[in-house]
Amino acid sequence: MAPVILQSPRAVHAHGVVAGYAKRTGIEITAGYDTGRPMSGGRVSVFAPDNPATPWLTATLDENGRFRFVPDPAVQGTWTVQVRQEGHGAMIHIPTGDFAIEEQQTGPASFGLLQRIVAAACVVWGSIGTALYFSRRKKAG
Amino acid sequence: MRKRLICSLAVFAALSFCLFLVIGEVQAGTLKFYANGEELIAEGFLAPKLTKDGWTLTFTHAFVALSDITAYQTDPPYDAQSEKPISAKKKVALDGVHVVDLAMGAEDDPPVFVGEVANAPAGHYNAISWKMARSKTGPLAGYSMFLVGTAEKDGKTVSFQIRTAEESTYRCGEFVGDERKGFLTRGGEADLEMTLHFDHVFGRADKAPDDPLNLEAVGFAPFADSGKIHEIKLRGMHIGHAGEGHCAVEWH
Repeated sequence: MAPVILQSPRAVHAHGVVAGYAKRTGIEITAGYDTGRPMSGGRVSVFAPDNPATPWLTATLDENGRFRFVPDPAVQGTWTVQVRQEGHGAMIHIPTGDFAIEEQQTGPASFGLLQRIVAAACVVWGSIGTALYFSRRKKAG
Repeated sequence: MRKRLICSLAVFAALSFCLFLVIGEVQAGTLKFYANGEELIAEGFLAPKLTKDGWTLTFTHAFVALSDITAYQTDPPYDAQSEKPISAKKKVALDGVHVVDLAMGAEDDPPVFVGEVANAPAGHYNAISWKMARSKTGPLAGYSMFLVGTAEKDGKTVSFQIRTAEESTYRCGEFVGDERKGFLTRGGEADLEMTLHFDHVFGRADKAPDDPLNLEAVGFAPFADSGKIHEIKLRGMHIGHAGEGHCAVEWH
């Protein structure tokens, strides 16, 4: 269950500054070593699924090795978070389903191998059937 | 006559469609493989990054023999912590045993080219495995690794030759580093890296003595007798990485 991040409990007005809050579902990353030591100050890079080679966000882990971010809910797919420090690092992969985002995927369809084989079989069968149909019609005529 | 024409057209259409499907599957590019001993091999163990027991090391040669080099497109991404075999949608293998000298890497660009596979299916290669294997020929015949160089400490200079015949297989997830690697587009190029961390062997003086890396490393002192070729046992020292990402290791 992804944690809910409350940026501010209520609206505040002071000297013309207007602040508010938004309730969003976010992701909390925790990174540490297998000794139990947190990766304090480690570098974080977040990669969005629609541009996986370029960081969408870079940041630093806090003293407890934690970092929170709110992904763009419009970007579907697997988000990737990389944490690094002193020559050690790891990648975390977070499917959009883990954000409880419910929009339907709207990208172009991608055909698997089985679908391709079935499609090819249909075309071959249809082509042969067409040829036999015309062949038979000519004989009958 | 008309029957023959229709039959020919039908067969041609069917074959064309099948060919289209096959070409659609291939969508090839070139996948390049590199091995990297990083700055600790290309430049050496120089202050403050001395060995855990305070030696300065420079390498004339750092031969490793690599075989069974395979890149994978995995979904979900392979987790090396699981130590399971890699399950992939697609994979590409670089055939043969490849002996490379990691010391030949430039100081500002340490990776050494190992080989490439043309006609690799497009996609994201987010896992890699390889074997450190005994070479049958060349300078590494009978061994999987051979380090040659010079060590200095407290005004004493020794030449060293360290080798091992041990074989091990490393299974790694995605490369972790300054950039993400392995994105191969149709007609394009991508590269992957087999990274070897030699501080897991010699330790690091700039890290705490109780740092896990220093606890597993043997340091250089066992090899300070320059009069002979030393055999090293690498088992227990995790030198194989994908950039900074750790790998599962299987000893043979």
